[in-house]
Amino acid sequence: MSLIQLLATSFVQNAFYAVTAVALAAGAVGYFVVLRRQAFAAHAIGHVGFAGAAGAVLLGLSPIVGLLVFCLGAGLLIGLGAASLDDRDAVVGVTLTAALGLGVLFISLYSGYANATYSILFGQILGVSWADVGLVAALSLTVLLVVSLVFRPMLFVSVDAQSAASRGLSPRMMSLLFMSLLAVTTVVAIQIVGVLLVFSLLVAPAAAAEVLTNRPLRAMGLSMALAIFSAWTGLLLGVWIGGPVSFWITALASTSYLVARLVDAMRPRAVRRAVA
Amino acid sequence: MRGGAVSLGGRSIWRDASFTIEPATITAVLGPNGSGKTTLLNLILGLVELGEGTLEVFGEPPHRGSRRLGYMTQTRVADTTSALTGRDYVGLGFDGPHFGWGRDRSKREVVRQALALTGTAAYADQPLYSLSGGQRQRMALAHATVFKPELLLLDEPLAALDLAAQAEIVDLINLIRDTTGAAIVVVAHDLNPLAPIVDQVLWIARRKVRSGSIDEVVSEEVLSELYGHPIEIVLTPRGRRVIVGLEEEFAHPHPHGHDHSHEAGHEHFVELYEEETK
Repeated sequence: MSLIQLLATSFVQNAFYAVTAVALAAGAVGYFVVLRRQAFAAHAIGHVGFAGAAGAVLLGLSPIVGLLVFCLGAGLLIGLGAASLDDRDAVVGVTLTAALGLGVLFISLYSGYANATYSILFGQILGVSWADVGLVAALSLTVLLVVSLVFRPMLFVSVDAQSAASRGLSPRMMSLLFMSLLAVTTVVAIQIVGVLLVFSLLVAPAAAAEVLTNRPLRAMGLSMALAIFSAWTGLLLGVWIGGPVSFWITALASTSYLVARLVDAMRPRAVRRAVA
Repeated sequence: MRGGAVSLGGRSIWRDASFTIEPATITAVLGPNGSGKTTLLNLILGLVELGEGTLEVFGEPPHRGSRRLGYMTQTRVADTTSALTGRDYVGLGFDGPHFGWGRDRSKREVVRQALALTGTAAYADQPLYSLSGGQRQRMALAHATVFKPELLLLDEPLAALDLAAQAEIVDLINLIRDTTGAAIVVVAHDLNPLAPIVDQVLWIARRKVRSGSIDEVVSEEVLSELYGHPIEIVLTPRGRRVIVGLEEEFAHPHPHGHDHSHEAGHEHFVELYEEETK
């Protein structure tokens, strides 16, 4: 089959729609992940999702049910327990290890076909059904809608929580809201790139965007654009050259961050972003 | 406030506080670390509840999120690593609390005015982390005053600044009072830099609060009674007050760890003190 014929097949087209939806949501939420310095929480929620999916498979349910329950649960737990920056790492770390332990237990109890676990870990982008696309698109649109509505208050709380609190915003409520958005986005992204590589779409494009611009809206737009670029090109390369699509997406997203840092390093010192 | 008392986590912070803050006046809040100065601001902001007595802000009980109140926080922006530009940060003071898509068309002009008033327009498009301490403090003042509050609360605006930068911020606070007519409450460690512009002093120590003019409160009798041991006040030839007998209060390390403002205040105090005893 030629590349054109491959791209016309339904599984590639479904994959195309799914990565588009995921990249948009992950690029947008990723901006706040980077701004709030919560990459560790994003990492943890992905792994918590693994335990949830394994548990659901064990019970004979769809993995996405377990993903939603566990990711949202962990998101709320972290959001509640770590509203202040001081104890955030510890809360995230404990949640992470507790969930990973459960995941190990679930897998050991599950005697069936291990492919389900494998696809949760590494994604199953070329196995996305039309029904999956619908679900992914609906969740992504919801995330994007909420992000657009809470953009300003979320930015305010993330930059100066005390001042925002004095103006009537609750940092705790905003933290819960953020973790919920992160959890839903993670669930969606896991369908495509898997638990281990959720990071590639959530953190790398946003981190690259943050290096390139300090205007908030522009940074979020750039983050979404870079996520889309990584996702589309990654899908294309995976279909064309071969190799796992999630590898290509991760490679491209990481490279875009590297390029952003290089561009930044070549700028005059006064406008440079990265101090390190 | 009349007969106000407050406790946090079962621990009494202070009691029997009574004072009034008039429009277009500047009130300095002084006292050792942990005496409840920031708690007083949190009360006015409606973030903490009064245990006893009554507190009225603009004639009603305090409530959160009032647009008539401006608040400049102690450390967050001073220590920021944020890449946000000053202009965007000041803009957040204007419409940051608003959910939804609507944009207020007056924002650009209001932000421009706040930047002009605080003299920050020249570096408003640079990221916050690239500004000096004094510049950030001015930017934080622009952020807190952008919606022209009638009551402005400033928590340690002079902390961690050198003397020249302190003098500039004091002038700016005075300018904001004169141009906006706001009542301004300034929490500080050292009265001296603020003394020329202060109308009222609230001194909090040992769970008590004394209020009045500088001469009424900063006297040997009042402070000795407040602290429960003899306090001497030495007036320097340039009219600065050196308070002797509080060394212990200032020498105690802050229980909540690292606190730049405390160190800065301490050094300054010791410097003045030694100068006077030579």
